[in-house]
Amino acid sequence: MLRTALRNVLAHKARLLMTVLAVTLGVAFVTGTLVFADSSTAAHRAAVSKNYADIAVSVAPKGPPPGAAGSSGPAPGEHATVLDDALARTLAGLPGVAAVRPSADGPATLNASDGSPLRTGRIWAHRAAAYVPGPDGTDGRHPLTEGRAPRTGDEIAVDSGTAADGGFRIGDRITLAVDGPTMTKRLVGIVTTEDTRVTAGGTLTLFDRTTAQQLFASPGRYTSIDVSAVPGTDEAELARRVAAVLPADRAEATTGTALATQQTVLVDTITRGKEKLSLVFAGVALFIGSFLIVNTFTMLVARRTREIALLRAIGATRRQVVRSLLWEAVLVGLAASALGFLLGLGIASVLPELLGTAQEELPRGPLVIGPLPAAAALAVGVGVTVLAAWLPSRKAARIAPVEAMRTAELPPTATASRVRGAAGALLLALGVGLLLSLAGAKDASEENLQSAMFGCALLVVAVIVLAPLLAVPVIGLSGLLTGRLGIAGRLARRNALRDPRRTAATASALMVSTALVAGLAVIGHSTGRALDRQAAAGLSADYVISTHTSTTGIDPAAVQRVADAPGVRTATAVSDSTLFIGGGVRHISGVDPAATASVMKLDFVSGSLKDLGPGRIAVSRTLARENGVSTGGSVNARIGGPGQDLTPYTVVGVYEDNPTAQDALGLRGEVQRSGFDPGSVQRVLVRADGGATKDRLRTATGNNPLLKVQDRDELVHEAAGSLSTLLTLTYGLLALGGVIAVLGIMNTLAVSVSDRTREIGVLRAIGMDRAGIRRMIRLESLTVAAFGTLLGLATGLFGAWTVGALTNGALKDYSMALPWGTLLLLCLVSLTTGTVAAALPARRAAGLSPLEAVAEL
Amino acid sequence: MTVTPEPFPARPTPGIAASTTDLSKVYGSGDTRVVALERVSISFREAELTAIMGPSGCGKSTLMHCAAGLDSVSSGSVRIGTTELGSLDDRQLTELRRDRVGFIFQAFNLLPTLTALENITLPLSIAGRRPDRQWLERVVSMVGLSERLDHRPGQLSGGQQQRVAVARALVTRPAIVFGDEPTGNLDSRAGAEVLGFLRDSVRELGQTVVMVTHDPVAAGFADRVVFLSDGRPVDEMVQPTPDRVLDRMKRFDTRPRTS
Repeated sequence: MLRTALRNVLAHKARLLMTVLAVTLGVAFVTGTLVFADSSTAAHRAAVSKNYADIAVSVAPKGPPPGAAGSSGPAPGEHATVLDDALARTLAGLPGVAAVRPSADGPATLNASDGSPLRTGRIWAHRAAAYVPGPDGTDGRHPLTEGRAPRTGDEIAVDSGTAADGGFRIGDRITLAVDGPTMTKRLVGIVTTEDTRVTAGGTLTLFDRTTAQQLFASPGRYTSIDVSAVPGTDEAELARRVAAVLPADRAEATTGTALATQQTVLVDTITRGKEKLSLVFAGVALFIGSFLIVNTFTMLVARRTREIALLRAIGATRRQVVRSLLWEAVLVGLAASALGFLLGLGIASVLPELLGTAQEELPRGPLVIGPLPAAAALAVGVGVTVLAAWLPSRKAARIAPVEAMRTAELPPTATASRVRGAAGALLLALGVGLLLSLAGAKDASEENLQSAMFGCALLVVAVIVLAPLLAVPVIGLSGLLTGRLGIAGRLARRNALRDPRRTAATASALMVSTALVAGLAVIGHSTGRALDRQAAAGLSADYVISTHTSTTGIDPAAVQRVADAPGVRTATAVSDSTLFIGGGVRHISGVDPAATASVMKLDFVSGSLKDLGPGRIAVSRTLARENGVSTGGSVNARIGGPGQDLTPYTVVGVYEDNPTAQDALGLRGEVQRSGFDPGSVQRVLVRADGGATKDRLRTATGNNPLLKVQDRDELVHEAAGSLSTLLTLTYGLLALGGVIAVLGIMNTLAVSVSDRTREIGVLRAIGMDRAGIRRMIRLESLTVAAFGTLLGLATGLFGAWTVGALTNGALKDYSMALPWGTLLLLCLVSLTTGTVAAALPARRAAGLSPLEAVAEL
Repeated sequence: MTVTPEPFPARPTPGIAASTTDLSKVYGSGDTRVVALERVSISFREAELTAIMGPSGCGKSTLMHCAAGLDSVSSGSVRIGTTELGSLDDRQLTELRRDRVGFIFQAFNLLPTLTALENITLPLSIAGRRPDRQWLERVVSMVGLSERLDHRPGQLSGGQQQRVAVARALVTRPAIVFGDEPTGNLDSRAGAEVLGFLRDSVRELGQTVVMVTHDPVAAGFADRVVFLSDGRPVDEMVQPTPDRVLDRMKRFDTRPRTS
């Protein structure tokens, strides 16, 4: 049977080509993703181990977290450690130690030469360290490529990537901040670094040793001491020896390997996110591609009915017929896997360019082709193809030998249609029921989301099952339009309806991708609008100054300068903290009640801010409902800080949910005292009266790179920014769906044209010109595409409507909004799909001679 | 032997619906060169039913395809009415077939998705013209299909399907109708019916019909039979009967073939 299968594959290679292409796309995405992941992991590992190559053991201070000291903020130089030169000397004297390298590390954020903060997307990777010259006068970890090492407190060096991105030249004065006020330093050197946090999109600033010690430790002290070992020394053993000489509870020793692993894990999480996105593409490509496979094999079986019946008549068993077809599928799958694997390698090599941005560069390295991607490509390619060919092969097996003598194809029996209708209706009822039952759900819990996903899947499957039955009325309806286009239009509609199952299966690919895209687009658009509304809702201030990280605060002096800036009417500081209440963690804003009215639009349901004071808070309507309190009541809570005790707070007012005010409002002084970072201010809300500009406000903050100054539009923009991945996904799926749909429709049309060669010949003979034939095929293609798009739109919009109800719980201002632009684009894609898919088959049909009408069968 | 006096027939009144002059059709080249038609000059008179007969491979189908503008010619000329086909491009040829030629094929060749009526009016639909009601009714009632106009081809018998094809060929009032073995797929009763309609169309509607057939009974319905052998017209018979045609055909079978 293998030989028969091979012959058949070769005989139908044009027909199977589309199938191969569709499977190839899916396999390519799978391979590309896996190879990309392997390669970037390997690149990471290489970089990290290079970075830690000479570190056998690293010593770091241990002790209570700095914030718990109870002082008024993390002023520079207060992180006392026990790591000093004496300890370094002790460590250097240990057996097996080759060298010690003390360092003083911390964060530092730079302003680019244009005054804007540099690489703010990855603020946690803004590293700063001391330039520690070794015995030879240079720092081996930070080789200089330009200029010289920083020697005084006024000088710094940066890594080459940062210098390029920031537009820095040797001699420039650079504005930077460690965790408080702004500093200005002169750039004297440019170094290279192997630190993957930096190369993956962070920045590196080097101070001279004394300055770094002042900033990140205390004079004469270090934040870590790295120990390199004499060759042949066991890392773990050395770590034990080092630990033995460390003051207990004040310092700990970690092996270099452990450190490298920690860092790899950190950077890997970035890569992982990218991986998911492209695996989604792979999944979708394979799913909608499988319709193409099913359809192709179904058509092959239909065409070969006589041949198969003949085989059966001369004694082939059902099993042999099935096996022959499955062998064909295996061969097709193998070809597709091989092609897809190669294409996947291509994808893997360009993915870093596509996914990496200037902000976060993905690690580069040679492609690593492990056995897993190859195995996955093979499994996915062959597996999906064989699975998809299985149904048609069952059908082929049911062909009775007598059908060898039959000429006309029998229409599907009424029972089959009834069974299909019943099954589809049942699935539809289940899916719709499940989705509607979620409409009452108030939150987007994991459970509800899973139900929603399941409901959507049921819905899609139901529509796929029902599609052949829906084809008649829907295409009949669209026929009202095409019918106006003369006989070509009428024939196109009739031809599309000739085999509703074939038409439906062809349209399914477009249906699924359209449903996905329409659903995602609607949810994305609605969420975006809700976020827009939220970002600006409840805010009457014109500008918001906030910090890039949650661990830093705004310098109180800067708040005063902002308040004094020209054009500023009111500038009020807000202190943010966490509120532990009723077993949950909420956000509380510490405000000055007198100034609040001019910067926040608070809409009180009851009570007011008038009575706000120590031990008194105002809560949002949601928080009030969750905890069952109302104005005048009392609720047990704790603002920020460590500890377990809750104390009773009196509720002085309940306001409508307000994202600017967050979940609760307290007195600023009280929130500040017990906040995570005592005494700090996280936001300054600025009401301007004309003269204030962003630049002036930035200047007032001392151009501090740690601070953001945003007007209302930028706030809105930032909130919507998180949706960009969804947008990429949406348009990516749109393109992918379009491509596979084109392949599918082209495939079906090509079969239809060759099935109808004689008919087309007759049309030509009795006077239809080539243009008419082309128009007929094109309109048929458009009809199929329009059918798929219509079903997809309906499914997607319904799904988005019901799933949106879940979002409604999580997102206060959510309401379904239709992204007309995207929906229009969907229709255009459908139109294009139809036209492009028809191009070749139409040309072939138009090229048929009228003599085909009289050709021998 | 000559078949038809050239350039015009002796009888002046019924004009010439279509004619070929020195028509040759050659397939292939070199060793595989096959001459299907060799310098054929023949005229088909208006309001006459002409049958073309001959043994298999004599070129009768090729002659018809060329005369109808379905196939290109190697040399010589073909005229329908006063139009010289050789001067027409594909679009003009298509329009000529649509407006001035009717076809009846052996394998019925109706569009399965269209009803009988839609199939009949298909050439008019293609041309974007409304059917002439009276003419349509006349044609439909002549072929006896009035009751079955809403049926799809699949719901009609072979004879009924061919009657639809006849009506389709007549509905545009073409200058000439070509039939390619129009009764080849029918039993004798249904075949006789269809031939009867074709003859009626000649008698009652003044239609010109040319058909290729190998069936002496079918040829017996014709006004004139032209015999073809080895790509050349070799004989002609006016007012034929099946028996006379059969006798003439038998002479082909016994005579050794030359090429």
